[in-house]
Amino acid sequence: MNLNELPPLFDEHGRCMPANLNAPALAQSRRYFGITTPQIDYAAIHARSTEHLGGSGILVDEFARRCENLMHALRADSRTHGISKGVAVPFLLPRAEHADYGEALSQRYIPAVAHAFAQAFPQYSFTDHNKNVMAGQLGIAPGSRHERLLQAMQQGPVVGCYFPCLSEYSLPAALERVQALPEQFLLAGGYDTSAALVGTPGLLQRTDGYPPLLWLAAVQAEKPLVGYYYEAYGYNLTFNRRPHFGQAAEYWNSGLTVLG
Amino acid sequence: MTTMAQDTQPNKLTPAELAKREGLRARKHYVADKLAAITEMEERGEISPIIRLEKSYLCNFQCTHCSAEYYMDRHQKKVFKIKDARRKIDLDDIRELSRQADELGLARFVITGGEPLVMKDFDAVVEAIDPDKHYVITDTNGWFLDDAKARHLKSIGVEKVQLSLDSMIEADHDAFRNKPGSYKKVMRAIDASLNAGLNLLLSTVLIKGRAKSPEFLDMCRFATERNVGLYVSYAKPTGSCTEHPEFVIEKEDADILRELEKDYNVFTHMTPTYGSFKGCITVKGIITVTSTFEVTPCPYIDFSLGNLRETSLKEVLARGMRNPWLGPYRPDCIIGEDPKFIKLHTEKTRGVTHLPVPWGQGFSDTDTLTD
Ligand code: SF4
Repeated sequence: MNLNELPPLFDEHGRCMPANLNAPALAQSRRYFGITTPQIDYAAIHARSTEHLGGSGILVDEFARRCENLMHALRADSRTHGISKGVAVPFLLPRAEHADYGEALSQRYIPAVAHAFAQAFPQYSFTDHNKNVMAGQLGIAPGSRHERLLQAMQQGPVVGCYFPCLSEYSLPAALERVQALPEQFLLAGGYDTSAALVGTPGLLQRTDGYPPLLWLAAVQAEKPLVGYYYEAYGYNLTFNRRPHFGQAAEYWNSGLTVLG
Repeated sequence: MTTMAQDTQPNKLTPAELAKREGLRARKHYVADKLAAITEMEERGEISPIIRLEKSYLCNFQCTHCSAEYYMDRHQKKVFKIKDARRKIDLDDIRELSRQADELGLARFVITGGEPLVMKDFDAVVEAIDPDKHYVITDTNGWFLDDAKARHLKSIGVEKVQLSLDSMIEADHDAFRNKPGSYKKVMRAIDASLNAGLNLLLSTVLIKGRAKSPEFLDMCRFATERNVGLYVSYAKPTGSCTEHPEFVIEKEDADILRELEKDYNVFTHMTPTYGSFKGCITVKGIITVTSTFEVTPCPYIDFSLGNLRETSLKEVLARGMRNPWLGPYRPDCIIGEDPKFIKLHTEKTRGVTHLPVPWGQGFSDTDTLTD
């Protein structure tokens, strides 16, 4: 069968359409919670990532070219074309190898988001509400493909795009869905979602409506049915943990990552 | 009267708050244990909403923004020329509600109305709730709350008073409340409550544009200086406010308030409290039991989840939690901010003589967000 004849995986707003899921996801979206498509400024993203996450050795032009190529490839395939109509957030992660996921998230990536946010929006605040110690507690959700991001990071700096397009999915449904997507799609976890927010700290700022909450769906928490997430509070940004009970909510998004 | 504050406040526990909690534990350890267990219940997926009890809608005020006006006899008489013949709750019903709530681990009752302190059977209602089993709060407009009354409330087991204050400008407060002299009575009630050792919360309604006003800032300062929490609820397009759509806030107002929370002792029930962020608390954090034993998910939503004479509290709560509007976590106010829900609510409540709209006609198990 010609791949181009297969039905599209994303709708015209970039949402990954739920299909053949056992776990809950809302079949239709009224798009009440949404992210305003950010202006992509590769130089600014590059500069913030370098300052708050460390140098990658990749120059701005190369970063931009690799992101554009990645988007071009997605646009060119009729099955994945729709994702390019939604929100895409380029990110840059320096080479890194972390022995402990939770420790790296709490010691390095969340503080990087906090600093990037504080610098971009000194009048607002970043708050980490999570009281749980994450070091030694977190893992990678099996089947999420997130380990590929970690492998790539071990080999060198990583360029990618984060797509908050699994909107209105339960976390189990997000995990189920990614397993049926083409191989280049990874479920987003802590490092890539944080990197997207470091590069684009105003991603969840909206004056005319509410943005969704962003789950780190590829992260396996210390307890089943619990998860970690970034969320706006007014014009402020927060990090937190809560039980999700495997439910879907209109307000809940998980993300996909594509490496470039 | 519609105060629906959670009993926690956004900032860290101060030594005074810690002392209050320890005091409660010494006097009522059963209640203190239940309150302390709420976080664990939530972690297990159980809920522990505050129960707002509307035993009577009698009121000595006629406020411009009252959400209970359409439930009042005076409204039914004046507008619909009818008398509500539905069976009203009595003390036995309240005892049964208290028992079922206790069995489910629920721990908090707010007596509201109407104006609770005009109820002749107020003390009997407190007793029927059972202050040794539940944390009892009363709403009030403050008119009758002098030193003697405050001491009496404390003596019968009331722990907390939620006092309405609508403006720091005396004339504006009195005009909003249609009651000359009411501002002065609120100021007296503040002192009386604190002197009697009652926990005190000031509650105020935010109408569009008020968050930016110097008056509102004055109120934030006043509450912070008196070391009293200022609980803010948004004006909603229900009750008396149906005739004042211009009162309904926009996201900008809510966002300004979120910024003020950083500097002042001001909060809404959607403010993160000690790291827990419930967002809209319909069913998860609050329910209202009306005078006809109907349960609504929020004082501003006039759709019932069931009548407690026919359906157990447990099933009513389960209905709410599986409803797509009410159960899932969301950060905004559905009745104050979501245009689709506001439209649905306005259409289904228009001209209804007997509120709330019964289960099956407002909310039902077939609800979806997209139809
Ligand atoms: S709808 Fe939700 S947020 Fe709005 S007043 Fe009711 S409980 Fe509060």
